[in-house]
Amino acid sequence: MKKIMLAAGLMLAVTGGAAMAQVKPDVLVKQRQAVMTLQSKYFGPIAGMASGKVSPYNADVVARNATYLENLTQMAWDGFHENTQGQQNTKALPLIWSQKAKFDDLAQRLQAETAKLGALARARDEAGVKAQWGAVGKVCGACHDGFRAK
Amino acid sequence: MQCLAQGDAKRGEYLANAAGCLGCHTGTQKDAVPYAGGRALKTPFGTFYGPNITPHREAGPGRWSEADFIRAMREGRRPDGANYYPVFPYPSFTRIADADLRDLWAYLRSLPQVNRASEPHELGFFFRWRLLLWPWKWLFFTSGAFQPDPKATAAVNRGAYLVQALGHCGECHTPRNFLGGAKQGRFLAGARLADRDRSPNLTPTRLKKWDDKDLAYFLSSGLTPEGDVAAETMGEVIRNSTGKLTPQDLTALIAYLRSLSPLPDEPK
Repeated sequence: MKKIMLAAGLMLAVTGGAAMAQVKPDVLVKQRQAVMTLQSKYFGPIAGMASGKVSPYNADVVARNATYLENLTQMAWDGFHENTQGQQNTKALPLIWSQKAKFDDLAQRLQAETAKLGALARARDEAGVKAQWGAVGKVCGACHDGFRAK
Repeated sequence: MQCLAQGDAKRGEYLANAAGCLGCHTGTQKDAVPYAGGRALKTPFGTFYGPNITPHREAGPGRWSEADFIRAMREGRRPDGANYYPVFPYPSFTRIADADLRDLWAYLRSLPQVNRASEPHELGFFFRWRLLLWPWKWLFFTSGAFQPDPKATAAVNRGAYLVQALGHCGECHTPRNFLGGAKQGRFLAGARLADRDRSPNLTPTRLKKWDDKDLAYFLSSGLTPEGDVAAETMGEVIRNSTGKLTPQDLTALIAYLRSLSPLPDEPK
């Protein structure tokens, strides 16, 4: 029993350690930018179709994209580690770290609104998607105000 | 179009959208009534509240005459003669044509009356003194309707009118001096906002990276063709104003921006 505990403890130390290993700040920046790029890729067509600027409305594409988006919106946030402050090649503004609570709240709201969009899209609820996509866009935009350089 | 002695409320509605009146004159809470006021605008001089502009006789400009409205927009003065703070963008609105002002007034008169008292502005002690606005206006304000440039095309002139007069784009996209006056030599070159944020340069220096189709899509949807989302300050302007322009007006607006001389960005 003791041996098992010890082994489990060791495993935890090793895997935990690996997860905690400090990723280089410039890599974190690249990773979170990749998430943002993919969010754009999958949100763009939803917004285009839901607003009627792109037609016809394709419920299957909307459902797929909204589900991808639901997963993607969970991924960027640990990339805004404090050690990435002062990195080059990023539009992230220092307010992210000086107003961390507001930033985190917007991150939470984005995930909540995107989850709602995903559920509506998978239910093939076109009217629901058309009412909800704007809420997602507004949270995106709210965070781009003040937290992202123009 | 009919020729009417009185303004046309339907045209006025289109113009009110193009002028973005809704933004400052509507509260931010979910059940806020359009044009009943309440939006707070924080500035280096204090916090201003957009007033109720529904035609209620006590809470709004219900007792005003058309001439009172035209004087407010053209001269930046209240019916009692006092000056408005230029947070009300009359340095831009002064350029709106007489006929359009009459249509705007007809539209505002047609709104449902809302009995909601406007909040007083919260200003620093010094700035509460409205007489200071006389020298400010003398320095930074020139009244008078937009004059088309005879050398420019009709589309460019229409775009200039939309940008300079109705759209009041320069209020955010032109840098200001320490007294809050616009630096006219840097018109639309982008401005520094609080906390290292900034409004983008609208001259070709920056916009040349986008073609007309991309720009039109952005100004009507708030998205780049890649799906990137505009910051919400502009997102709101797109929903309320540029997204409601006719395709012809949007094309004219873009043609005007393309015609500007390229100016360098503000220093970081």
